[in-house]
Amino acid sequence: MTVFAFTLAALGILVALFWLLFGSRATETPASLDARDTEEFVPVNCRHFPQIRQMLEAEDHQFMRRRAPRHIEREWRGERRRILGQYLKDLGQDFGRLERLARLIATLSPEIRRAQEWEWMWQGVRFRLLYRMVAVKIALGSFSTDDIARLTEPIAALAGELESRMALIAECAPSRLHADVGG
Amino acid sequence: MGFSLFESGRWAATTLIEVVVLALALRQKLFGRLPFFTIYLCIVVANEVILWVTYSFTGISSHTSFYVYWTMQAVQVSIRAVVVYEICRVLLSPYEGVWRLCRPFLILLAALLVGGAAISARLSAHHAAATILTAERGLEIAVIGILILGLVFCRYYGLKIERHVVWIALGLGFNSAVQVANNTFLRIGPTLADFPVWQIIRQTSFNVATIFWIVALWKPLPARQPAPVLLAHGEYDRLAPQMTLRLRELNTRLLEMWK
Repeated sequence: MTVFAFTLAALGILVALFWLLFGSRATETPASLDARDTEEFVPVNCRHFPQIRQMLEAEDHQFMRRRAPRHIEREWRGERRRILGQYLKDLGQDFGRLERLARLIATLSPEIRRAQEWEWMWQGVRFRLLYRMVAVKIALGSFSTDDIARLTEPIAALAGELESRMALIAECAPSRLHADVGG
Repeated sequence: MGFSLFESGRWAATTLIEVVVLALALRQKLFGRLPFFTIYLCIVVANEVILWVTYSFTGISSHTSFYVYWTMQAVQVSIRAVVVYEICRVLLSPYEGVWRLCRPFLILLAALLVGGAAISARLSAHHAAATILTAERGLEIAVIGILILGLVFCRYYGLKIERHVVWIALGLGFNSAVQVANNTFLRIGPTLADFPVWQIIRQTSFNVATIFWIVALWKPLPARQPAPVLLAHGEYDRLAPQMTLRLRELNTRLLEMWK
C-alpha cells in the first residue's frame, strides 16, 4: 500500500512539475504597468451588456407568449438561452481579466497583504463555483433575466474605476513608478 | 573494487556527463546567476572522485565506503534543497511584494517537511538502512515540495520562467520524484528493490536529470532581464479595497441567483 501510494505521489508530482514548467500561461506579468499592458486586463465584454440586457427584456417574453405560435416561442426561448449562456461566458471572461489585473497589481507592488491575497483567491474560487451552478440553472431554463443582468453591474463598475486608475498610473509613470532592483 | 565491465563503463559515462554539465555551467558563467547550483555541480563531480578513491582503497562493501557514500548523499540532498530555494528566490525575488509573501511559506514548508523526515527517520531507528532511506526520502520530499510551491506561486502570479531555469528545475524535480518512489521500494525489502527495470530507472534517473541540465546550459543563457518597474507604495492599498468590494458584490449576486 505504501509503495503504491508513494509511486502514485511521485507520478503526480512529475505531472504537476511538467504542467507548472511547460503548461501554457494565460498572461505573463509585464515588467512594468503601462497603458498598453493594462488594456489586455481591463474587462471589455461588460461594455456590451446593456444591449444584451435590452434583448432579454421581460416585455418581449410576454409578447411572444401572447402572440407567437408555440413552436416559434420555443425556438425564441432556446435562442434566449443561448444568448444568456454567451452572456454568462463573457461575464466569466471579464472576471478572469479582473482577476489577472488584481494579480498584476499585487506582483508589481512593493508591499502586498496576505489577507487581501487570500480574499482575492477565495473570491475567485467562489466565483467559479457559483458561475458553474448558475450556468447549469440557465441550461435547465430556470433563470430570471433581471438577476442575470444585475451581475454585470459590479464588473462594469469595477472596470470603469480600474480603467481610470490604471490610466492615471500609466500616465504618471515616470514620477510615480520606481525601478526596484530585485534579487 | 569488484565492479563488472558494464558497471565501470556506466560509472565512467555518468562521470563524463557530469563533467560536461559542470564545464557548460562554467562556460556560461552560471555562477553569477545560480551560485548554489554551480557549487552543487562541483560537488556532484567531486562525489564521483571521492567514491572512486574510497571504493578503490577500502572495497565497495566496507564500512568506510558505506559511511562515505551516505555522507556524500546527505551533502548532495541538502545542497539540492538549497538550490531549489535559490531557484525560487531567482524567480520570485524581483517582485518584492510577492517574494515577501511567499518566502515565509517556503521556509515553513521546508521546516515542516524536514521535521517530518526527522520524525519518520527516528521512528524507523530499529534498522540503520531504513532510517537512512526514510531520512533521504523525507529530504527529497522537502526538495520537491519547495520547488512545487515556488512554481505554484510563479504560475499564480504569471511570472516568467527562463528556459534554462525550467530545465534545471525539471532535472532537480525529476530526480527527487524518482528517489522518493525508489527509496520507498528499497525500504520494503531487497526482493522488490532488485527488480531489474526498477534498478535501471533508479540508477539512470540522475543521468536523465544531468541530461536535462545539459539541455538547460547548451544554448547561451538569455541576457539578464531588467528589474521590473514596481508601482508606488500605497497604490496596492488604494486599488485593493475597490476590487475586493466589487468581487464580493458579484459573488453575492451570483449566490442570490442560485438560491
